[in-house]
Amino acid sequence: MGRWLARLHTLNPRWLYLATAILLIIPLVILIPMPRGSASRATRGLYDAVEAVPAGGIVMIDSSWDQGSRSENAAQLECVVRHLCQRRIRFVVTSLGTVFSPEFAQKTIEPIAAQAGYVYGRDWVNAGYVQSASGLAPVISALALDFHTIRQADVRGTPIGDLPLMKEVRTIRDVRLVYVVTYAPSPEWISFITGQFGTPVAFGCMSMMAPNYYTYIDSKQLCGMLIGNRGAAEYEALIRHPALGTRLSMAASFGNAAVILAAVVGNLGMWAARRAGRRGA
Amino acid sequence: MTDPLAVWVGAIVTLGVFSYLARDNPFYRLIQQAAMGVVVGITIVVTWKQVLQPMWLSPIQGALAGTRDWTGALWLLALVPGSLWYFQLSKKWFWVSTLVSGLFVGVAAGLAFKFRILLILPQIGASLKPLNPFAGPNGFTWEGFLDSSNNLLFLAALLTTLLYFFFSVKTENRWVRTPIRWGRLMIMVALGAMFGNTVMTRMSYLIERMQFLYEMWLRPLFPG
Repeated sequence: MGRWLARLHTLNPRWLYLATAILLIIPLVILIPMPRGSASRATRGLYDAVEAVPAGGIVMIDSSWDQGSRSENAAQLECVVRHLCQRRIRFVVTSLGTVFSPEFAQKTIEPIAAQAGYVYGRDWVNAGYVQSASGLAPVISALALDFHTIRQADVRGTPIGDLPLMKEVRTIRDVRLVYVVTYAPSPEWISFITGQFGTPVAFGCMSMMAPNYYTYIDSKQLCGMLIGNRGAAEYEALIRHPALGTRLSMAASFGNAAVILAAVVGNLGMWAARRAGRRGA
Repeated sequence: MTDPLAVWVGAIVTLGVFSYLARDNPFYRLIQQAAMGVVVGITIVVTWKQVLQPMWLSPIQGALAGTRDWTGALWLLALVPGSLWYFQLSKKWFWVSTLVSGLFVGVAAGLAFKFRILLILPQIGASLKPLNPFAGPNGFTWEGFLDSSNNLLFLAALLTTLLYFFFSVKTENRWVRTPIRWGRLMIMVALGAMFGNTVMTRMSYLIERMQFLYEMWLRPLFPG
């Protein structure tokens, strides 16, 4: 047993890569029901903020993600848009991130909005890419003061003023909630939207960035936050519509179990190798 | 419906990137360079089509042609500060570029002050948390006791972490050394949480690619 464990210590890591890949495919092929945990305070905060918006109210979504963070941001955008559609809340989408973001947002939102009977221009608008290379602070400030000066046409090239929904959105005061979903949302949103105008802001971020934002949840500067696919899965449970987030977090549970197992076995192997070495000496 | 050609290209590129796990190879490097090229190309096109053309060129053209408000021609003035940046390429005329860079630094500094004050001040207020478990409206409750304990832990972590970064105190003193060690422990806990989340994010990347390979590429190849 000891010799076998010691051999694990020198295992080629490529076998581990292969084992992880196979393990991750299992929950994608076979749907395994897993117990659902309760929603975290951060997830519940965003859900309550959306619930507080009256039907017909307007929410602004900054969807600034692309392929680089699709693995978690896609599910985070999907579940919130689905909730907005369930409650007949209208929304405007901007992309302050990369040039690819408007297309990713369009592809994610379009099927959900169409299924809910949302009409483009009347119920939702994709305002497209907002160039922010000179820094987010001046862009967010200007966006809050006069949206129409920052984007004069939507993603399809239609003048913003011609879209019925945009006639009602001029400043940030016309918006009930701002939801920023990207790899690492910028705290400038907190300062220049919540701090200056009092409009609630919520974030959807990659798991690895979450510890940077917990402090803003505690201080109530952020009304809520979705953390990775786990946050999306919790949100899907709250709106009673399990979808992408639930499936991906199920696979992540398998992956995390594999990492824990590999760490335990690796350490046992190292211990056995040292012990064998001492005996040999 | 996704274009099958796009799915095949996506699958080949994904497998090419994964091939790096076996060893570094020319196919992987080719994909890496191609991805960078595509990103730069698309960024230039989209920036022109969605930003510069509609927001800068069209108002000028419209104003000069008389089809739009004459104020659109004022956008020509943006060329003056914009072109000043290029003087950074000349040693002799470098000072000209400082006129515009100074302006940018001034604006950025002003916004940074506002940004930090609006961000940090509420944090200080939120750090003052009740520590007395008997102070609740219903007197002592277990929930209140747990909240107070949590707040006490928060306060200890806050003060000891601040002390850890307070370099003007001699650390030989036992009364200072112990809290500093506690502060370091708190920082290690925070970094551990960050590392755990990083592992989760990396796992999500892999899962998303596996899902793509299985659902978009392999499953349609073997229906039923």
